[in-house]
Amino acid sequence: MSRILEECLQTTVASEADLVQLRRQSRTITTCTVRNGIVEDFSSMSLRGVGIRTLVDSKSWGFSSTNIIDSESLRNALKISLKLAKASANARNEEIHLEPAKARVADVSATGKRPPLKMSPDEIAEIPLEAYRGANEVKQVVDVKATYVSIEDDKYFLDSEEVQIHQKTNRVQLFVDVIAKENGQMCPASENIGHTGGLEIFDTVPPFHLGRSVAQDAARLLKAKAPPSGKFQVVIHPTLCATLLHEAIGHPLEADLAMTGGGFGERIGQLVSSKLITIYDDGRVKNGLGYLPFDDEGVESKRTVLIEKGVLESFMHDRTSAALSGSTPSGNSHAWDYSVEPLIRQTNIGIEEGDYSEEEMLEEVKEGIFLEGTFGGQADSNADFTFGFQKAQSIKHGELGEEFRGANVAGNAVDVFKTVDAVGKEAVLRPGACGKYQFAVQGRIVPSIRCEILVGGSGG
Amino acid sequence: MNLDKNWAILKDFVGKAVHHIEAKRNAQVEAFYTSTTKTEVTIRNGDILTQNLMDDSGVGFRVATSKGKVGFACTNAMEEKAVRVAAEKAYDASKTSSEIENFAFAGRRKLPSVAGLFDKRVNEVTVEDAVDIARRAMIAAEDVDKRVIAKDGHVIFQSRWRGIHNTSGVDFEERESKCILYLVGSGKQNCEVTPGCSDSVFSRSSKLTPEKVGRNVGKMVIEMLKPKPLKSFEGTAIFSPEAVSYQPVHVLIDALKASSVMAGRSPWTKEVGNLVASSNLTIIDNSTLSGGFSSRSFDDEGSSSRATVLVDRGRLRSFLHDTTSANTLKAENTANASRSAGGFDLVKMIIGSGYRAKPEIYPSNLLIEGGRKCKEELTSELQNGVLVESMSGFPQAGSGLVSAQLSRAFYVKNGQIEHPIKNGMISGNAFDWFRQISQVGNDAKQFSSSVVPSLQVEQVKMVGL
Repeated sequence: MSRILEECLQTTVASEADLVQLRRQSRTITTCTVRNGIVEDFSSMSLRGVGIRTLVDSKSWGFSSTNIIDSESLRNALKISLKLAKASANARNEEIHLEPAKARVADVSATGKRPPLKMSPDEIAEIPLEAYRGANEVKQVVDVKATYVSIEDDKYFLDSEEVQIHQKTNRVQLFVDVIAKENGQMCPASENIGHTGGLEIFDTVPPFHLGRSVAQDAARLLKAKAPPSGKFQVVIHPTLCATLLHEAIGHPLEADLAMTGGGFGERIGQLVSSKLITIYDDGRVKNGLGYLPFDDEGVESKRTVLIEKGVLESFMHDRTSAALSGSTPSGNSHAWDYSVEPLIRQTNIGIEEGDYSEEEMLEEVKEGIFLEGTFGGQADSNADFTFGFQKAQSIKHGELGEEFRGANVAGNAVDVFKTVDAVGKEAVLRPGACGKYQFAVQGRIVPSIRCEILVGGSGG
Repeated sequence: MNLDKNWAILKDFVGKAVHHIEAKRNAQVEAFYTSTTKTEVTIRNGDILTQNLMDDSGVGFRVATSKGKVGFACTNAMEEKAVRVAAEKAYDASKTSSEIENFAFAGRRKLPSVAGLFDKRVNEVTVEDAVDIARRAMIAAEDVDKRVIAKDGHVIFQSRWRGIHNTSGVDFEERESKCILYLVGSGKQNCEVTPGCSDSVFSRSSKLTPEKVGRNVGKMVIEMLKPKPLKSFEGTAIFSPEAVSYQPVHVLIDALKASSVMAGRSPWTKEVGNLVASSNLTIIDNSTLSGGFSSRSFDDEGSSSRATVLVDRGRLRSFLHDTTSANTLKAENTANASRSAGGFDLVKMIIGSGYRAKPEIYPSNLLIEGGRKCKEELTSELQNGVLVESMSGFPQAGSGLVSAQLSRAFYVKNGQIEHPIKNGMISGNAFDWFRQISQVGNDAKQFSSSVVPSLQVEQVKMVGL
């Protein structure tokens, strides 16, 4: 599969470790940024390297990476990884007894119908240029930045338990950021699309339409007031629910964060949210940005139910957290690239659909706010979270009313998800990203939900 | 050692590739290249989780045609051919780019001598030393009180060569060290867990202070036990250096970048010479600061470092520039081209930093000049307000709107801290806050690209239940 990695596994140095995991990766990133009609940047990045992780004395992991791929460099990196692992073996408190992996050879590919490599630079540049043209139709727009990004990965995973995985994936994204300005007022809006696959994504969502729609939002919101502040009943659109799910529930359900205590840490089997809520993570959702058939420890992805009808069922695990908590690895161990070690990450996290149409959700709200669009967010391991919405509308007696500009909402996931009293019947697949210690692209599969939340608006 | 060997090899390949493109393609070329070795120890849940070492070298080329069309490509393959191919790809990419008016590479200038960029002791630090520092910090935190757990953190020792070579005569290299200790603690009482409480040291020196950081974290955790909800009110907020370093500094940076001015998105676009903030606020960008975490003798396109007064007692004096923005806006180049710019840009996060990134305008060490009183004195004089130690949530680009969760904050009455705050937010416009600064602390702290003190701001909206 990768001769140089196989040779590295057969060295005597490798036999000193309980387990050796080797990851070799070649990555090509192509970006094209159009700013205000100018192709400001066309870039091509070619990166490659090997990351080596070792476990020693059933206690301690070491990790070393190198961008020089020859036998000598790999042997050296392996030695360093072992040395690092041994450095803290005596200092560690807990032993790690991993469940043995099943020997396996797999070769998977998800490169899409129109792989980026087959497109010419001019064809690629047309994508953000089209988004710019769409946005430029809106007269209040003063700044438009549209960026096309493709990430083409070719990854090998080999370990000393005879697991050999080869995965090829393409991921394509388009980001549009707009600032509208009028009478000294400025308002931003942004949106992105992305999937695992090729450029066929732009057949479904034409860049021109995306650019125009973002620009129209920014222009319309110029006239909108700031939202009110305080605790409100809210209907959360999937574009924002994706962030809520990832930040508020997703992070506290990652075993490494859960095991720090707080949040959901010691509540397996308990009712932790409204009974309308079922949450899962699934690395097998094709086209999701988190489509990862095998994780970076060679574990096959699966659909993991995390919360079922409000009851906490399990966490997302890597092999270490599974061993420490007597669980099964869930295929959630991922590294952004070869140079960093894998961590527990979400893949495609989702909320199962409910029974409500958006209209039905609104109908039952006497006074509340409809929240839409995301500006990203953050979460703490105690399940406290905050994230931004791009736009909002008042709800009065079931009717949408005055439009508001964006602000942030905050709360504690455990408290907020107990207040969910309606879940939408149509879940959508959204692109997502995460910056937990290292970057990752992920998917979210989300419907609208209705709940109570603290809104940090500066309006009346 | 590997680092020096890799650097010498890479430098040779880069020199040849630059010459190759200049000769064959009649184009201007710039190569930014680095060789890095980084040792990192990671803390999770009161234990050392792992330790890792990364060796990385690479080069990013910008190639500009005579018409100002610029392409970029990078590689980390340490082979002469691969480096040349990357330079060729940058040339090819330039054909797709538009013409950029006033584009220029940096010209050769005398560099200032900047002290404290490299501590050679960083080369002698072993992974055992790094583990020891992590453990000492954890023990110090957990010794404060048995309810404290050091749940997260890392120790980093990084040594790096950084070089820039262009066809306008720039050929500089510099050695630098960066050492970081970051520790997060939390505590639990009656089933209630505190938010993460963190302290950090960003230093060029390998002498970190684990006991001090650990004690600080332990103390912060205990202070956050038994929080109470906040009722909404408008009052005075004292933002600690950590709180200032995040949302307010982000809004400042966005407004001060010449690229924001050129894009029409800085509200301070036409305000040079005018009052834009309280007269208590003076802001300087200083890349020559001795031992500064983001100090350097040349920026990431090779311009000579300097100190620039940006806001002088509330009056806007200058924006942050690179070579091209200075040409475009007919201003002085402030040497603020950076390949490790912060901010909340997903595309940048995908690409990465250093040789993987094109330069963009970003501060080096953004300094807010200190006042006379420490945070404790400011707090003791506060009649009714909130001491904000840290906030979470992103500010809104351009508009300056901030609505952040009070992740570590205290209600203060009659000069006394009454209680930590639970479920609170703070809301407003950071540009208004800059005008409403009534006092500045003397407790400036170094963060990765800022050195900022506490700020006392009047008429701030606190949001509660």
